[in-house]
Amino acid sequence: MIELFGVTKHFGEEVAVDGISLRVAKGELCVLVGTSGCGKSTTLRMINRLIEHTAGEIHLDGQPVRTFDEVTLRRRIGYVIQNTGLFPHWTVARNIGLVPRLLKWPRQRVRERVEELMALLGLPMAEFADKYPRQLSGGQAQRVGVARALAADPEILLMDEPFGALDPITREALQLELLDLQARLHKTIVFVTHDMDEALRLADRLVVMRQGRIVQQGAPVELLHAPADEFVASLLGGDTRGLKEAALTRVRDRMLPLGPRLLAHERVAVDAPLSQALSLMLWHRVDRLTVVDDEDIPIGELSLRRLVGSKT
Amino acid sequence: MSRRAVVGRGLRLRWWLGEWGPLAWLGLLLVLCLGMGELEGPFRWIEPDSREVLYARSSFLALLGQHVLVVGLASLAAVMIGVGGAIAVTRPFGRDFLPLVSQLASIGQTFPPVAVLALAVPVLGFGTLPIIVALLLYGLLPIVRNTLAGIQGIDPGVHEAARGMGMTRRQILLQVELPLAAPVILAGVRTSVTVNVATAAIGATVGASNLGDPIISGIVNGNTAYVLQGAMLIGLLAITVDSAFERVQRRLVQRV
Ligand SMILES: Nc1ncnc2c1ncn2[C@@H]1O[C@H](COP(=O)(O)OP(=O)(O)OP(=O)(O)O)[C@@H](O)[C@H]1O
Ligand SMILES: [Mg+2]
Repeated sequence: MIELFGVTKHFGEEVAVDGISLRVAKGELCVLVGTSGCGKSTTLRMINRLIEHTAGEIHLDGQPVRTFDEVTLRRRIGYVIQNTGLFPHWTVARNIGLVPRLLKWPRQRVRERVEELMALLGLPMAEFADKYPRQLSGGQAQRVGVARALAADPEILLMDEPFGALDPITREALQLELLDLQARLHKTIVFVTHDMDEALRLADRLVVMRQGRIVQQGAPVELLHAPADEFVASLLGGDTRGLKEAALTRVRDRMLPLGPRLLAHERVAVDAPLSQALSLMLWHRVDRLTVVDDEDIPIGELSLRRLVGSKT
Repeated sequence: MSRRAVVGRGLRLRWWLGEWGPLAWLGLLLVLCLGMGELEGPFRWIEPDSREVLYARSSFLALLGQHVLVVGLASLAAVMIGVGGAIAVTRPFGRDFLPLVSQLASIGQTFPPVAVLALAVPVLGFGTLPIIVALLLYGLLPIVRNTLAGIQGIDPGVHEAARGMGMTRRQILLQVELPLAAPVILAGVRTSVTVNVATAAIGATVGASNLGDPIISGIVNGNTAYVLQGAMLIGLLAITVDSAFERVQRRLVQRV
């Protein structure tokens, strides 16, 4: 659990973070969003003390971070950054084993752990263990970055725009992998991003920052429905918020069982987001879709009226 | 001859120069040191009016030894002070001096070596010591400059990650900064040593005895043969040293 109480950071005259309070529960994935320069990275880096806070208190599991030795503290917290920060003169395996080696794990255990992580992140040992970072694609390099951060099994993970430099397809793949990992590992994660779709997709708790302050926080759907002000509303997409919300809801939640009518010609997967169903309707100019399961077997239907949740 | 054979031969030559080049140059240098007498004919043809055409005040091997010793000592000290100093000013405690040192290192390069010597003599007197000091000072600059460039050229993300993963300052220096900066630092050392092999010859004017002696003596007595003998040996020594560094550098780059 991470708690911030009135945390402030001054850089000389400038106030980068201005008295923010935040509580990230154990196992929660908290996403920080906001315009450039609003203090997201600074907030993150105060948690692992790469930056010392000027005022306020930061607690990990109830203990002030200032009471930890900073090196010990950082070895307990995973850290992933945008350009990976992989050591170019070390192989993938050596990069991943960094923190366990710093913690003086026995060699055999480090090797087993590296193997385990590479399997977890979909990097076959035989192919990647001895490669150097410059031989990797952006997506592979960031997988190694995540593996390195997870190596010593930290409870907390700090991620600063980890997928920011990737193409949309690779980014989406890594987002899904992260959700999958999180479902298994239950880390406490603070994640910074510029990409609102990424934020909405990943967040258990979404925190909107502006000029060093928290403007609003809560579940993504809460923020979409009741943005605190114009700024939050426009950051979340302004008038396209409806589509963002539709991206968070599954077809499963709105479909009806198969009725007596003929099956509609166009189909949509039961786990697809509503936004995809809407797009299909627009594209094919129809107002009804057949919902199919993984094996492409029809299990229900979705009408435009149901999709938009119309009450009439 | 087929194109392929030509290319193959070119590659083989490159490989040969890379692997054995330094040793071959060293061999040539030693052979010339010991067998300069065999070249009496050509030298007499160059310098028909002089009674003596072979420099004989001291053996070439002894002069070479002196030369190597002086350059070696000066370079060793320059590496220790230069690398150490550049590391110090990139640490938090020394950062205040960073602008000063990096400016000195770049201005100093424009300072001619003769001037360094001219300044060293009044302070240190004649002999071997002033030349060692002058070479040390002069050789310091490329080493400092390159060490700074090497350390500052490291991707800030790598540094950030190293700190964020919980490496101590010492671990960051030894496991990240120095290995990553090594090729650039080595390039600086190479420049420093190679330039100093040539610069050391000027030491002969202030009474150090080395391969500069035949050159100075040749100029003073109007004996071109002496000048040539000194120049050839200094040139070969510089090439030997340079090719040795080249080889080490290539090893280093291959590894990264
Ligand atoms: N080390 C530093 N020294 C001085 N000022 C800094 C430092 N780090 C950050 N700042 C300032 O603090 C403010 C917040 O920076 P921060 O990096 O936290 O923003 P951010 O929200 O992460 O922005 P971005 O989305 O562009 O990454 C900025 O105005 C920045 O200029
Ligand atoms: Mg940032």
